[in-house]
Amino acid sequence: MPEGGKIDGKQAIFLMVSMVLPTTFFFVASVTAHLAKQDGWISILLATLGALLIAWLAVSLGLRFPGKTLFQFPEVILGRWPGKVVALLYIWWYIHMTAEILRQSGSFMVSVFMPETPIIVFELLIMAIAAYTVRNGLEVFTRVNQIILPLVLGLVIIMNILATPEMNLRRLLPVFMENGAVPVIKGAVMPAAWMGEIVTMAVLIPYLNKAKEAYRVAVTATLITGFFILAAQIGDLAIFGPEVTAGWLFPGLNKIRMIHLANFLERLEPIAMTIWIAGGFVKISLFYWVAALGSAQWLELKDYKPLVLPVGVILLALSIMVHESILGLLTFLGTFWGPYALTLFQVGIPLLLLVVAVLRGQGGARH
Amino acid sequence: MKKLLACLFLLVIMTVVISGCWSRKEMSELAIVLGAGVDRAPDDQVRLTLQLAKPGAFTAGGEGGGGKETPTWVVSETGKTVLDAQRKLAGRISRHIYWAHDVILVFGEEAARHGVLRYTNYFYRTPQSRETMWIMVAKGEAKDILETHSQLEKSSAQDIGYLARAKTGYSVNFKNFIVMLSTRGANPIASRVDIVERGITQGPEQEKPTIHKGAALTGTAVFRKDKLVGWLDESETRGLLWLRGEVLKGVITTPSLAEPDKEISMDVIRGSTEVQPQYDGESVWFNVKIVVEGDLLEQQSGEEILDREVREALEKEIAREIEEKTRLALEKAQREYGVDIFDFGEAFHRKYPKDWLELKDRWDEVFAGAGVDFTVEAHIRYSGLQSRRTALEE
Repeated sequence: MPEGGKIDGKQAIFLMVSMVLPTTFFFVASVTAHLAKQDGWISILLATLGALLIAWLAVSLGLRFPGKTLFQFPEVILGRWPGKVVALLYIWWYIHMTAEILRQSGSFMVSVFMPETPIIVFELLIMAIAAYTVRNGLEVFTRVNQIILPLVLGLVIIMNILATPEMNLRRLLPVFMENGAVPVIKGAVMPAAWMGEIVTMAVLIPYLNKAKEAYRVAVTATLITGFFILAAQIGDLAIFGPEVTAGWLFPGLNKIRMIHLANFLERLEPIAMTIWIAGGFVKISLFYWVAALGSAQWLELKDYKPLVLPVGVILLALSIMVHESILGLLTFLGTFWGPYALTLFQVGIPLLLLVVAVLRGQGGARH
Repeated sequence: MKKLLACLFLLVIMTVVISGCWSRKEMSELAIVLGAGVDRAPDDQVRLTLQLAKPGAFTAGGEGGGGKETPTWVVSETGKTVLDAQRKLAGRISRHIYWAHDVILVFGEEAARHGVLRYTNYFYRTPQSRETMWIMVAKGEAKDILETHSQLEKSSAQDIGYLARAKTGYSVNFKNFIVMLSTRGANPIASRVDIVERGITQGPEQEKPTIHKGAALTGTAVFRKDKLVGWLDESETRGLLWLRGEVLKGVITTPSLAEPDKEISMDVIRGSTEVQPQYDGESVWFNVKIVVEGDLLEQQSGEEILDREVREALEKEIAREIEEKTRLALEKAQREYGVDIFDFGEAFHRKYPKDWLELKDRWDEVFAGAGVDFTVEAHIRYSGLQSRRTALEE
């Protein structure tokens, strides 16, 4: 096996929460408020439900093939070459996703804090640390995350509480009446695609010390993520109302900027930066590791470490190439990413694999 | 040894990296904006006026040895957009213009009458300016407001900012202003700022005390969508605050029942406003319930307030006074300006989401024709340190 590490259930939950939450917290409300207006929070509930289904799909699939990851079992199910093609698609998807996230992290820093700094500086810094972490293996960044995630969640909670004086929950009314169901469902697509990254469970299962816990891990992580995103969404809507929320790039950031208490507790954006950088770092490390590991397994190498640097270079170059501006990034994430990630990689292919596996009776009955 | 060398190497590297970063701005390189004003210049141009903090003037230990020099500096320039004007200003300010400490944003009357939407976007967009700055409309030009100076504070912008924060009238921050601007069924309002006589300047060397004129908040500016349509004076602003149920503090003064030429004042401690829309398919009306509680702190007359009946009569009188003020603001909004500035539209929207779809496009008309029923309750909860008026007069 290219990766020798083992992590326990709690560590896996932490990892799966860090994978989605810290960056989504900042911008999710903008997309949902644009489509579903004040019913954006219902979209989040729907998205959480969708993510739970995806989690079930990924875990069921993973458990059928003990010791094999998402990059290996397609071969068993579909035969050598079709399986290789599917695995290659997934490698592409993970590389692409990591590049997008990297671009997003850099864009946030440049557009909000340091407009004159070239984006490559931030990306290079994050990638250098991430590459080092990934080389050290799964266990290392899992443990780093055990320190980072409580910090991030703690800050997110404190920020939401401090912002409550600005909130007016009546901005969430009327509920669900005038817009009907369609905008709410449309608004759920994007958050579902982010939370659907839980499909990564299909890569992580072989590295759990107790594979049986996989269901619990996936469900708990999704529920925690869903809860925090919901709270952030409601907070943003209650402060800004749907129209203004939809106008902001990062409503979560503006929420933190709104905090001003007792004339001294104000201008807390550095905390936003902390949440973003710390959380984004774990997220990038995880996907980077998956991409490197997947490439190694696809090439049937003994170790993924030689691939860390080449994959990193590809990620960095790709993240610069994919978009010409932050507006391009937004249009892409807002319109294309949902259908692309959700239908193909999070639901479509896993469902196809599961159906074929069941029909062919492959994979051990759940142990 | 190898480790030690590596550590040393890292330390050396750090001295290079940690000491600075790309977009760093040292305090001594900044021109800190305290107040900004936007006026309309000919040809739809923007005249941007900035009140800048003079470096050093705000540091501690300024014992006034320098004497009369003001700690601020006001510059203004015209441009096609706010940013364009700011760019031109950069040509004559030796420092980097820094928005993050801007306290107030003042729109000139002309600019406001032609619509503020044209000017707000820069402040919405730029990461530097804050959502918490106070928005106000000048009676006259914004430039004049920023050119005043303050006797009590270091700069007039901060002075006006403190006035807005005290919420003696209606004050609104940028966030709430853009929320009102973008919400259907709500029209924005902002504080009105005007130059008034604020006090007498005293000094031992001065022969005669001089009158100090300064900027102060004198009411409320009323918008239709993004265009200024008129003003509410200070007493109408009280009514506006009651109706919006926002800041229900203040003093209510009403003539005494027993001796009509004498007055009684109650200090309002808390209150609540509830707006219930009613719609029967044809006409819209609102039931407004206002409840206030307060302390009776001044009584010119001599009636016995320990007497329950007297007290109840007084409370009724106070309630009537509140209703009167509220009606004043309502009348002006309905009859004179025809705009809903009380968020009644939002209340209607919440209760009748389906009917709202039909009415929202002509909401201001509907609002102007809507009936409003008031139920006002006032309660005297405390009476200061006195229970009854000492009978000196007899």
